Amino acid sequence: MNKETAIHLKNITKSYPGVIANKNVDFQVNKGEIHALVGENGAGKSTLMKILYGIEQPDEGEILINGTPQIINKVETAINLGIGMVHQEFTLVPSFTAPENIGLGQEPKNSRGLVDWKGLNNAVMNIAEKYGFKVDPGLKMIDASVGVQQRTEILKTLYRNANILILDEPTAVLTPQETDELFNVIRTLVDEGKTVIFITHKLREVMEIADRVTVMRAGEVQGVSETKNTSITELASQMVGREVFLQVKKDEAKPKDEILNVNDLWVHDARGLLAVKGVNMNIRQGEIVGIAGVEGNGQSELVEALTGLRKASKGEIVYLGEDIASSTPKNIRRKKIAHIPEDRTNTGLNTQLSIWENLIGNSYFRKPLSSKGIFNLKKVSQHANKLKEDFDIRAPSVSLKVKSLSGGNQQKVVVARELSEDPTLTIASQPTRGVDIGNIEAIHEQLVQMRDDGGAVLLVSAELDEVMAVADRVGVMYEGQIVKWVNPKEVDQSQMGLYMAGVKD
Amino acid sequence: MDKFSFKDVLVTVAGLFITTIIAWVLITATGNNPSEVAKYLYEGGFKGTRNIANSLYQATPLILTATATLISFRVGMFNIGINGSMYVGALYAGWAGYRFTNLGHYSHVTLCILIGMTVGALWMLLPALLRVYAGVSEIISTIILNFVAVLFVSYMANGPFRADPIAPATARILETAELKQIFPNSQFNTGFFIAVFVAILAHFILNKTTFGYELRSGGDGLVGIYPSRFSSYLGIPSNRSAITGMLISGAIGGLAGAIEVLGAVRYFFQELEFNQGFDGILIGILGKLEPIGAIIASLFYGAVKNGGFFVDYKTDVAREIIIVLISILIFFVSAQKIVKGLEKYPIVKKMDSFFSRKKM
Repeated sequence: MNKETAIHLKNITKSYPGVIANKNVDFQVNKGEIHALVGENGAGKSTLMKILYGIEQPDEGEILINGTPQIINKVETAINLGIGMVHQEFTLVPSFTAPENIGLGQEPKNSRGLVDWKGLNNAVMNIAEKYGFKVDPGLKMIDASVGVQQRTEILKTLYRNANILILDEPTAVLTPQETDELFNVIRTLVDEGKTVIFITHKLREVMEIADRVTVMRAGEVQGVSETKNTSITELASQMVGREVFLQVKKDEAKPKDEILNVNDLWVHDARGLLAVKGVNMNIRQGEIVGIAGVEGNGQSELVEALTGLRKASKGEIVYLGEDIASSTPKNIRRKKIAHIPEDRTNTGLNTQLSIWENLIGNSYFRKPLSSKGIFNLKKVSQHANKLKEDFDIRAPSVSLKVKSLSGGNQQKVVVARELSEDPTLTIASQPTRGVDIGNIEAIHEQLVQMRDDGGAVLLVSAELDEVMAVADRVGVMYEGQIVKWVNPKEVDQSQMGLYMAGVKD
Repeated sequence: MDKFSFKDVLVTVAGLFITTIIAWVLITATGNNPSEVAKYLYEGGFKGTRNIANSLYQATPLILTATATLISFRVGMFNIGINGSMYVGALYAGWAGYRFTNLGHYSHVTLCILIGMTVGALWMLLPALLRVYAGVSEIISTIILNFVAVLFVSYMANGPFRADPIAPATARILETAELKQIFPNSQFNTGFFIAVFVAILAHFILNKTTFGYELRSGGDGLVGIYPSRFSSYLGIPSNRSAITGMLISGAIGGLAGAIEVLGAVRYFFQELEFNQGFDGILIGILGKLEPIGAIIASLFYGAVKNGGFFVDYKTDVAREIIIVLISILIFFVSAQKIVKGLEKYPIVKKMDSFFSRKKM
């Protein structure tokens, strides 16, 4: 095979104070291929892509685009070289339509110097048609689904004549169906001669869509392989540097007494719209109940209602025989209900505070950590350091601010705190979001351990793989209702995808 | 908050050094002799009992206003209105100083201080409530209240509280309400010890008590982040913390005003001008939002301020130069990017870990 090279990043080294983000990285992408770039958080993927896209400059190394050495010191240069990037966080104006967003900054002008809306619309629709995108030119982004927003982002790069597209974790926010659509789009792009770099940590998707894959770990390239010659297990061990158990090891659940019974629960969201519409469920001691579903189908509001952060409009939440639907978060916590929230940085942590101050959030008031309102800092220190050890929080000292930790370690602070006070019921919402494979494994093990020790766990996650692997019983949430209860061993992913999209049997 | 690290000290020292060079250039450029200015600055700040006493006197209200500001910041509220609390605290402490008679010294002083603190706290109640229940930015409301305070005390000194037929001023406080001046020819008074005590108390409450932890859980940075989801998630009522923090902050601001009147001025008059409330913001930041840091920074600032008066008196250089220099220094000290940038030097890292070893 003699393929032309679209991108060659040669011996790239980039260091930040105290960290080497990229160390002699050699990254080569052929023209017209789908190239996956995988690695854990902090492996150096983002830094490498930032260097390619002109956001960061390498300390050493060379960038060759189509065989010609280039210096990309700003994003404009990258765009002019035909490189387009779709970030994980979309950069769209919510009140603008797709064509308005796409043309923003490069609006075609008519003879009087005004924006040529018609020309813009036509240009956008032409590109959309060429690549088989469905776009409604009148739809504002605020009303568009995540999938549509993402396609708009891709169109934006195409409108700017991108030949090389970098997609940063594009499937993180999509349903299985939307993911399939995205993959079709990517295949069309490649058929039309584009080159796609696909950043992800979902190895199953790599195997499905990519031609070749580069694995990074700790700033270095661990291996480049053709997907047909490798396997998920091999890629995973390259990523983590040791063997990883992708399956969660657990015994059959032995559920005992009922702990929580939710009866006809209705909850409004922040905008005053009904988000939870009559949910019924129960959780027993010694089992993990999962809630699957595409984000935004009422899971967040359900969890907030259960934890007292949002008032239920109607219905009962009976916990150990007592209705806690109108209890405060404080009273709910004192009843030994732990909560790992979906929003780590603003809710689960105060990143301005130190690690120990975050770790004692649910225990600071009890002896021996404090007595008569005064801390026993020695005991606090022992407690914090024990949690740091038990939950493998990687930090030189618990006095450091939480904001100096990586995302995975921040999440470990939350998990450590929440599981530390021996909860009867643990409500975990997106507990492994933004956490890398090695730590995901640890968090899953801890949840299973809670279960085996006689606790009850409610696991809410948009990661279908996670819910299916960890939970003993799974409810699928769609538009505020649990539309289906399944045994995860008895259904497959595509079936679940249909339930998540609201299709009933 | 970050504790002081070696980096911070390094940046502060470097900042002082660069500030000195800039000062040298500025003073030379305006046709004055920098070494002469330096000499008087030093003498005014530190030479002899009287100058030292005056420097400490200048530091007294700053310790309090800086502590007041940093408490609000650490609760997650961005209180810019300490100057207002200081004015009303001064006015009402002064009023209590002549209004209540037949009291013993300690009980009268205590009463005046408590009234000053209460009024200072109440002054912050409105912005706190507006923030919590109506979402009005406390930055805007406290800035506005600073103007209101000036006009309000001016009206009171001119009208209801006016005692002097010639000048718009209140009556002189009674001797029982006076904070004692210790050195002759200096306004240094026992209020200094109250200020230091309050700052140390604040340090203890913020860092060593569960009450302080609850207050800080919603903030603890240079940015106001109220309402904090973290607090409510833990079951700590963040509204209550925000209001309590603002009231404590206002009370300490009122105390600063009360000490000025009871210890130094001894009556309230229309032209009495305070700006320590604003200086307190800078000093609070200079002290890294730690009360102990605020004490140190205030002592430094007080000495430089008093030295500035000396320079003004002895040379042609206006004392405003001091404000320019302090401002430059604060630019350096608050330049977090410079502090972070230092991390790439191994020696700094080593020193840093050496000095932070005894932490938890």
